[in-house]
Amino acid sequence: MKVSLNLIKKYVDLPKDLTDEQIAYDMTLRIVEVENVEKMSSKYHDIVVGKILEVKPHPNADKLRICITDIGDGEPVQIVCGGSNLYEGEYVVVSKPGAMVVWHGEGEPVKVEKVKMRGETSYGMICAASEVYLSDFFPAMDETEIVDLKGIDCKPGDNIADLIDMNDTVLEIDNKSLSNRPDLWGHYGIARELSAIYNVPLRELPKYKLDTNLPKYNVEIKDADKCSRYIAVEIDGIDTRKSPMWMKSLLSKAGQRPINAIVDITNYVMMAVGQPLHAFDKTHVGGEKIVVRNAKDNEELLLLDNNTIKLTSDDLVICDEKDAMALAGIRGGKKDSILPDTKGIVLEIANFSASTIRKTGKRFSEKTDAAIRYEKGIDTQRVDQGLNLALELIKEIFPDSKIIKYVDVYPNETPKNRIKVTEEFLNTRLGKKIAREQIEQILTSLGYELSYHDGEYDIVVPTWRSTGDVTIKDDVMGDIARILSFNSFEAKPITITVEHAIKQNDILLNRRIREYLAYRCGFYEIYTYPWIDEKYIKAAQIDTTKSLKLATPPAPELSYLRSSLIPGMLEAISKNLRYYDTFKLFESSQVYYNGDYRPSTDDEILPIQENYLTGCIVGKNAKDIFYEAKGVIENMARYCHMDNIKLEQIEKPNWADVNAYLNITKDNEIIGSLGLLSVQVMSSSKIKRTNVAMFEINSCKLTPYDSRTNQYERLPELPLVEKDLSILVDESINWKAIEDSIKSIVKEIEFVDEYRGNQIPEGKKSITLKVRIINEGSTMTSEQINEKMSNILKVLNKKCGAELRVE
Amino acid sequence: MKERLEEIKIKGLEKIANVKNQTELEEVRKDLTGKKSELSEVLKSMSTLSNDEKKVIGMLTTEIKTVFENNLKVKEDKLIATTSVLEEPIDLTIPGKKVSEGALHPITQMRYDLNDAFLSLGFEVYSEDDISSEKYAFDNLNFSKDHPARQSMDTYWLEGTEDKEGAERLCLRPHLTGGSVRYLLKHGAPARFVYPGGVYRNETTDARHERAFDQYEALIVDKNISFSSGMVMIQAILEKVFGRKINTRMREGFFPFTEPGYEIDMECLVCGGKGCKVCNHNGWIEVMPGGVIHPNVLKSAGLDPDEWTGFYINIGLDRLVMMRYGVDDVRLFHSADLRFLKQFK
Repeated sequence: MKVSLNLIKKYVDLPKDLTDEQIAYDMTLRIVEVENVEKMSSKYHDIVVGKILEVKPHPNADKLRICITDIGDGEPVQIVCGGSNLYEGEYVVVSKPGAMVVWHGEGEPVKVEKVKMRGETSYGMICAASEVYLSDFFPAMDETEIVDLKGIDCKPGDNIADLIDMNDTVLEIDNKSLSNRPDLWGHYGIARELSAIYNVPLRELPKYKLDTNLPKYNVEIKDADKCSRYIAVEIDGIDTRKSPMWMKSLLSKAGQRPINAIVDITNYVMMAVGQPLHAFDKTHVGGEKIVVRNAKDNEELLLLDNNTIKLTSDDLVICDEKDAMALAGIRGGKKDSILPDTKGIVLEIANFSASTIRKTGKRFSEKTDAAIRYEKGIDTQRVDQGLNLALELIKEIFPDSKIIKYVDVYPNETPKNRIKVTEEFLNTRLGKKIAREQIEQILTSLGYELSYHDGEYDIVVPTWRSTGDVTIKDDVMGDIARILSFNSFEAKPITITVEHAIKQNDILLNRRIREYLAYRCGFYEIYTYPWIDEKYIKAAQIDTTKSLKLATPPAPELSYLRSSLIPGMLEAISKNLRYYDTFKLFESSQVYYNGDYRPSTDDEILPIQENYLTGCIVGKNAKDIFYEAKGVIENMARYCHMDNIKLEQIEKPNWADVNAYLNITKDNEIIGSLGLLSVQVMSSSKIKRTNVAMFEINSCKLTPYDSRTNQYERLPELPLVEKDLSILVDESINWKAIEDSIKSIVKEIEFVDEYRGNQIPEGKKSITLKVRIINEGSTMTSEQINEKMSNILKVLNKKCGAELRVE
Repeated sequence: MKERLEEIKIKGLEKIANVKNQTELEEVRKDLTGKKSELSEVLKSMSTLSNDEKKVIGMLTTEIKTVFENNLKVKEDKLIATTSVLEEPIDLTIPGKKVSEGALHPITQMRYDLNDAFLSLGFEVYSEDDISSEKYAFDNLNFSKDHPARQSMDTYWLEGTEDKEGAERLCLRPHLTGGSVRYLLKHGAPARFVYPGGVYRNETTDARHERAFDQYEALIVDKNISFSSGMVMIQAILEKVFGRKINTRMREGFFPFTEPGYEIDMECLVCGGKGCKVCNHNGWIEVMPGGVIHPNVLKSAGLDPDEWTGFYINIGLDRLVMMRYGVDDVRLFHSADLRFLKQFK
């Protein structure tokens, strides 16, 4: 919504020393955010009235003319112009050098310079309306038409801004931030708030003296729940003359294109007090009767743009004796239009229920200004403000008009809410004591009526705040707080108690795992969307039978919600491979699938939602990255302080290589997997010329330690003897067998290396291992060491067929 | 004989002076003081001399040897002090060995910074699941029945539930606030907790708008507290995050689950409050909505609004992180693009 400060100042005397910026700032803090402050005249600097004294042909261009023009600066100037409607004696709009204009009404404004056009000097330009923001005032028939100021009282050199009443500041407010305040949808409502903030009086709106003995117009409301009030006024002596400049100007500043005086009056009233109005050509209302009723299913209404809309019984329509003429409170139909031959009108000022308007309004992509206001919930008393202001304006603009008939059908009046608020409640919740006079001043200025007895205020809420906005004492407290400004309350410190020390092991474990992966293992954390491209779900061969889908996904292929983090990871890998060959990524997020999960109340059954962890290592050497990933998982428990997890091969995950995979288990339950990505998965997710080691764990299954649990081990008194050993074994012997065979006779055993090569016989491999041995009670002599080592070899030979590798 | 010794001394000292390294030093030491040194030879050739002469030459020889030894010691100390462990000098401009790469997502980093700050103020960390129901996302929070946020144009409803109502209509949570009632139902009051997480809205995306973004919400419920306490908390938190005092202001804001509600703006850090493109030329950036918990929400959580009150603040993590680093496109956070993520080590 756009707010003209000139119109605001018609309703309230603001303190003289206030700048427009200060008003905007105060509004932002206390009423609603002002998004933009625009000084309207600044758009029109150096744009003045000119009088064409002489029109001459241009020697070098057929379509251009040379205009000798008086612009009020003494000597007339020469301006080159291509306008199609130039004549001597014409009053035109001249942009002098320095002015900003929009070329042909399109794009960013550019600065006018003194230039030569085809060899002839042009001192500025003679403008078309769209070039200098004048389309609202002087609509052009075609693009070559320049503004002709015929009929406007002006002289050369006059500033255009003065001519069209643009010495005003317009504040822009986002409609969304006004959705809870139906009273602020007109200038008068905002003026009322400012009167409370600055403690200055609010002027009363005009009261029109309507003759109540007029014959009654025939109006019938069929559903009083949907239409609480309907005033119809039949007025003769109306035509489609243009509005006076001041009204055009205000409408234009509010973003409303002026049309003709009667339509403009309805728009102006809505802008001023927030009450929508509608004018019907009286001859179009068949039978001189208006019926407000629910539409019939499949009833049709022809709109002004010749589109037909099909109605349902939820829609409220305004009808004459026979047909629907308009969708109540939303938009008029073709039938009710004001046309050039209109001589009399029926003016509608009515109140329609917010929910009806909202329901019907959904049908249209764009909301009308009337619908926007009605759907917020307007009080029925506002109809009076709209009526009075409209009749005042009609009298002013159509002095010969005459009111013929009138009716006010008023089945429901908006009741005023009543609220009791104790002084104590206000003091506690506001955090400071506010003087009674001040509370009374604020609330009275806002339209509340209040009385005070024994520490309690008895408050009557004004009708314009009683349609849902103010219902409880907290609302009243909020009004006081914001008018005083939230910033004026001293911040009270928050106390902390020692008993409430926080330690949450689950939360901490998740953090430790992320930090372990990022800072110790060198992974980058990624965030992906919960909706997953189907392509990658298929690629990862994820079963979607238990997956959830979105009703309105961001794109058709993104309708599945993830039940695994693998597909999202595949997408991330394939994207990053454009820039990097080797990298490590991880993600910790929720996955979802159908199931019965009741985290709060029993009536709410949600799908299963579990925290998962996935990671990948991308690199050329499959074996290296596999063992690197394995190391990451093996060491996780130790570094992240959680119960141990194991790795064993039980069941191949769909995405994994036929050989290189392991399941991650805890307490004999599979809680995740680790493996190389299969050739098939890589090829279907466009991961080329590289390998990927991947893991995925259901992190809900991980159990954090309550505290550090490992035990200190006494340092050995005697030195450990460390020996490397290279042995040859059959390919079929795995490390586990070797380790198990001598585990009991050495203190420690460690894998060093595996080797196959020229020196190694076919079918064999060389394993290098490190053992640490120790003697109980005394330092080992070299004989003892040799004896122990040969014993180790003997065992290895017996159990694994190992031979000492001879260099 | 004396002349010869004098000559040995001068030559010897000269040799010591010319020594360049440890190896040479050892050679010279052997040469001057060893068994085959000239001094030894002088001593060996003394047999032809008289006793008195022997005595004089002997003393002189010993004296020279001591001089040699002293000088060698001085030389050796000097050499040790200036010798490198390296045989050759190295190129000091070659970069050092890389440490392990890797980093948390910048939003996670911000979240942990905030967690640390809030934990120090006695807040618990709570997390609600991504999928919630209309009951918890809207009904409990005092959203009117026909509030536009309930429409599928705004909220991602799950297929098959979109036409149901309340607890049976499921969605990706559009905000975190629903978690407040879940927590309070479970733990009661008084309470203070934060609940960070991702939220999802059906929106058209551009550099400033995302469908998935992260929020950080904090809630205090207690007796007899005023909304102005929220201000202290916010100031403390911002100071912690940005490492210095940040100017803030509270202004009118409206949310169904608060009364009164407010918006908290912080001074734009890009221009220092002077006005720039980032802050839309007004010097302030909207970072946190907040407000006093609406009595109807307290009722949903089973609490008596006459007894209990409290307030929310809700921090837009994406925007805060954008401010912290000057990131200009919110969509980068979910891009999984390493060129972006590598900048936040």
